[in-house]
Amino acid sequence: MRLFAKLGFAAALALGPAAATAQEEPIKFGLLQDFTAVYTFVSGEYNQGQQDYLTLVNEEGGIDGRMFEAIVRDTGNEPQRGIEAYNRAREEGAILFDFLSTPVSRAIVDQAMQDEVVLITPLHGRGDAAAGQTFPYVFPVMATYWSQAAILADYINENEGGLEGKKIALVHIDSPFGREPTPILEDLAEQESFEFRAFAYPSPGNEQSAVWSEVRRYRPDAVFIWGAGGGQSVSVREAIRNGISAENIYSVVWLAETDAQNVGVDAMEGVKRYEAVATGTDNPILSRMVEQVIEPGLGAGGEANVGSSYYNIGVATMAVAVEAARLAIENGDGPLDGTALKNGFEMIEDFDAEGLMPPITITTEDHQGGGFGRVARWTGEEWEPVSDWTTAYQDIVRSEIDAGAAEYSGGN
Amino acid sequence: MFYRLSGIHHTGYASAHRLWSVPADRWQVVAVLALALLAPLFVSDLYLGSYVLPWLVWSAAALSLSLLMGLAGQLHFGYAAVMAIGAYTSIHLAQAGVPFALAILGAGLTSAVIGTLFGAAALRVKGLYLVMATLAMQYLVDWVIVNVPAISGGAQATLRTPDVTFLGLPVETLSQRYYFALAWAVLLALFFMNVKRTSFGRALIAIRDKDFAAAVIGVDPFRFKLMAFLTSSFVGGVTGAVLAFCYYRAVTPEQFSFNVSIQLVAMVLVGGLGSVIGGFLGAGFVLLLPIILTNAIADLGASGWIDLSQNLMAHLPLIFYGAMIIGFLLFEPLGLAKIYDNVRKYFLVWPFRHSGS
Repeated sequence: MRLFAKLGFAAALALGPAAATAQEEPIKFGLLQDFTAVYTFVSGEYNQGQQDYLTLVNEEGGIDGRMFEAIVRDTGNEPQRGIEAYNRAREEGAILFDFLSTPVSRAIVDQAMQDEVVLITPLHGRGDAAAGQTFPYVFPVMATYWSQAAILADYINENEGGLEGKKIALVHIDSPFGREPTPILEDLAEQESFEFRAFAYPSPGNEQSAVWSEVRRYRPDAVFIWGAGGGQSVSVREAIRNGISAENIYSVVWLAETDAQNVGVDAMEGVKRYEAVATGTDNPILSRMVEQVIEPGLGAGGEANVGSSYYNIGVATMAVAVEAARLAIENGDGPLDGTALKNGFEMIEDFDAEGLMPPITITTEDHQGGGFGRVARWTGEEWEPVSDWTTAYQDIVRSEIDAGAAEYSGGN
Repeated sequence: MFYRLSGIHHTGYASAHRLWSVPADRWQVVAVLALALLAPLFVSDLYLGSYVLPWLVWSAAALSLSLLMGLAGQLHFGYAAVMAIGAYTSIHLAQAGVPFALAILGAGLTSAVIGTLFGAAALRVKGLYLVMATLAMQYLVDWVIVNVPAISGGAQATLRTPDVTFLGLPVETLSQRYYFALAWAVLLALFFMNVKRTSFGRALIAIRDKDFAAAVIGVDPFRFKLMAFLTSSFVGGVTGAVLAFCYYRAVTPEQFSFNVSIQLVAMVLVGGLGSVIGGFLGAGFVLLLPIILTNAIADLGASGWIDLSQNLMAHLPLIFYGAMIIGFLLFEPLGLAKIYDNVRKYFLVWPFRHSGS
């Protein structure tokens, strides 16, 4: 019965005077994420940040009078549920999608390009989607994992006495995501003449003691930990237990306040991580959000999350998306559809969300936005940036992106 | 009244052994089949592509597993791995230029060989121990796919299916893919129903009920257990290929993870072991119910009926879903197929309460 009711509804929509109301329709973003399975460590805060930012934009009058609406659904990290949620949201008129789930994003990439709607894949999904010519509708927006590894290596090179002669270990979860930085670090090891070795621990990473005793025997000067969720705090704890100084531990972007609590806030002092977006509420956008969204009680979730690492990443993704919509409305004359929004993204130039994030420039060729980021150090209380917004070894990253894109064009 | 049993007399084996000996059942099957055939005309793309099509493919998967678990009584907790082997084999073969029909056949054969290899454990162990052996298969196959880029499709671990034609018919648009999946599901359902009527099927059932008793009456457990794994893995591999080409079209290792194996087992158990209609109902329940519940609760939230936090909204469907699994299994431990059977038996003699015999 439900099915037929929906069918009737869809037919009514199709026959209704859609054109007349198109201008007043809100701009819809499909935030179809995994709230119940694998990405739960990030999706709650991330999605809350996204929704709160859209609320702020609406409270401030929208863009050119047009409001934003978030369609939020749980996909449980299951591709088939993601596909259903995508198709449904597309029927409801969404023109931008964010799944925050690598399996779901990968399953949708082809369909999104065929349907000509924007798919943003910040900090997840295919790294090679940064190649704009091959993936015209897919926007990683933030630094890929390749760029993150490059920035961490560059930090050691600039601030820790150079890379030459060092031994660097990559301790990663045994999955395609965990293995992603390997080719970049291998190329860098050759270029900067340091020694590099990768160690894999089995998914989901609750138990890593075997691999860390191997890492200890390797006696690395620096360790990159490459996992997500619960496995990350296990990695930090095991590293410290195996005699690796916290100062020599470098993490992928997925290491947040919660992980510090799990490790012990004092024990983790000195651990560094790649950071895509500033944390805290000490930022014009965040303070406006606190004033206009959080304090009046319009927020989408707990107040304690506001300003946390993943919350702010969510805010930044929507800031970029709304900026793209603004540029598209300002510069386009047709209706704001997926293609117009895509063009809007490609017009983004030196956009830093009022200092919340590094200034990114997205072009037709580069959908990554330059691969910016910085290194932050856990002080025992908060993440303190120890480098400026920077970008590193983009020539090597780019060759990796192009190789992946060429493989995609070839059928993979 | 609805079934009109009067006048149905079997005067020969052929009529007594028909798949549907009551005309009313036949008409129901014809009606469902007609609806399925016409579905692309009256079901919107959203429902065809996101509900009906995956339902058919997963029903085929549940039937393939039910052949092993329901008929032969061999537990298998690594069935997603069997499907993965089929999916990856078919894509690699198709990319190498092998015609799709042969690629599907190759997928089935590869799955059958590897599946039987692991199934050989069933010759030594039973029950929970067999579960462990099949779990090992799941993890080994996962590991191999993830760690061999030549299989998984390079650094991004994504393989896209090439455009293919099946014996001259293209399998590209949504309705073409739907019909292909429908054909496979119907074929498998017919195969399943007929297997039950053959000596092979009866041998499997004998082994399920007690393997050494079956050996005493002359059914060779060695041979038939291996054949059960062989047959089930073959159709499972083909179903994996159908899943890849008709539904996902971009294959990643996560699509065949351990969770999927558990879902398949749940489909078979919730639907009813060894039943065709149970395969379809179980697949529908496990696959579609979470989606429907998620949307229903999101709609309730959007309409302002309930005011809940995002977190609770996301978990509420899971709570209902879990409660419904428990509820249905408490209500009828033999699964949805048995509920269907009870309803049918009720209407068979309606308006009377009991059948005469």
